[in-house]
Amino acid sequence: MIRTLGFAALLCSGLGQGLAQGQGQAQGQTSAEAMTLLRKIYQATEKLSYTGTFVYQQGERTETSRITRLAGPGGEIEKVEVLDGSPREIVRTRDTVRCYLPDSQTVKVERRTDPRAFPAMLPQHVADLARNYTIMRGERVRIAGFECEAVVLTPKDELRYGYKLWADVNTGMLLKARTFDRKGETVEQFSFAQLAIGSVSRDRVKTRHMAQNWRIEDAAVAPADLGRSGWTLGSVLPGFRKVTEVTRRLGEARPVGQMVYSDGLAAVSVFIEPMSGRAETVRPGPSSLGAFQIYTREIANHIVTVVGEAPAASVQRFATAVEYRQP
Amino acid sequence: MKAKISELMDGEAGSQESAGPLDVLRSEGEARETWRRYHLIGDVMRDTRLISGGFSARVAAKLAAEPTVMAPSRVSPKRQTQRWQLLSAAASLAAVALVGWVAFGTQESEPQMAQVQPQVQPIAAQVPPPATANDYLYAHQGYSPRNSLQGVAPYVRMVSGEAGPQRR
Repeated sequence: MIRTLGFAALLCSGLGQGLAQGQGQAQGQTSAEAMTLLRKIYQATEKLSYTGTFVYQQGERTETSRITRLAGPGGEIEKVEVLDGSPREIVRTRDTVRCYLPDSQTVKVERRTDPRAFPAMLPQHVADLARNYTIMRGERVRIAGFECEAVVLTPKDELRYGYKLWADVNTGMLLKARTFDRKGETVEQFSFAQLAIGSVSRDRVKTRHMAQNWRIEDAAVAPADLGRSGWTLGSVLPGFRKVTEVTRRLGEARPVGQMVYSDGLAAVSVFIEPMSGRAETVRPGPSSLGAFQIYTREIANHIVTVVGEAPAASVQRFATAVEYRQP
Repeated sequence: MKAKISELMDGEAGSQESAGPLDVLRSEGEARETWRRYHLIGDVMRDTRLISGGFSARVAAKLAAEPTVMAPSRVSPKRQTQRWQLLSAAASLAAVALVGWVAFGTQESEPQMAQVQPQVQPIAAQVPPPATANDYLYAHQGYSPRNSLQGVAPYVRMVSGEAGPQRR
């Protein structure tokens, strides 16, 4: 009996592996080891200090960036600097994200007002992922000098992408992450070329830009209840739940409402803004930018823009579900 | 009924609610056609390689018109033995197997499915991304679950073309 079970498990994992690479529909079963590894990755992201260089690949685009993270009792600070082209930087502290754009001499600032919206990935959240994804162990490979173990999250339906994550066997540090669609084709990929785990000096997480005279775009995020203004979603896609609902400023000053829905990995933002004051023409329909799918609609003199890290059909379904009723 | 069928397809109807539409689907011509059409729309939206509308009806007609070949041209001795074994096992079952085998053989020599051209156009054509798409992506990124998986790294996804797609 045990032997039969073992064989079945082997067969399942083999099958899942093949399909994860191929069509992206889960056939195997979530394994406890894979869940443990996934938890370890989330904990490592939370706890480790490191500095390294990674390559981001999406379609034709390949871009190298340096990332540095300092964890400590004073709260963590992270910085990413793009090494190709214009030296853009993003610095994230516990409560603020600053994005330095030297070409336009702009700093985008976003303060976190709603702690629920930025939750640490707790163990029960990892367990929740298993409802929508089959989580299985992958092969062992060496990446940037680290012995890595893979975990594959294959979606149980076509509403989300699949993910393959490679993590350092010792620390759980994520060395490579690949998003794949239902045909098994890569949507985007992050991969470290070089990495040093361990203490980092505080100077390395500071911006190198003297941005005193730069224009500041403050997102002015505030919690909101868009339902009270008449905006709701008729139905939410299976597995997704509302993460947050805010009002904010987009770009320099455009006020928008934003609702975020997620299943723990896939995420979709629904933006609602008044048509008046929009200079450019609005083109309703589906579009895409990089790894993101976008769907634009007009409802009741408002523009609804859905942006998602999810397949185009899912993003469109979110857009279609948006309803307005005079409050 | 159409709304119910749509719910059923999306997996939004409970088992209680599904019983009604499912029964109708089994019997009613129009409901069945709706079910088929909705799946076709879904396939188009998902960009699935398509077979044209009315495909199943045409296949049924072609199958009906197909002469029943009882002696297919080339059969390996091994397969022939298998067939005889089947025939001797249960006559009715063997007849079904034979017809199936013949149909399969015909399809192999004449790949009719590949010749059918898709006639349905995708419903929603791609449009250029909004001029301020990067602003949306940036606003979304703050809430991306990828942040708790990869820290600040996923932010590189939207800071490529600083001012948006037209600056690329």
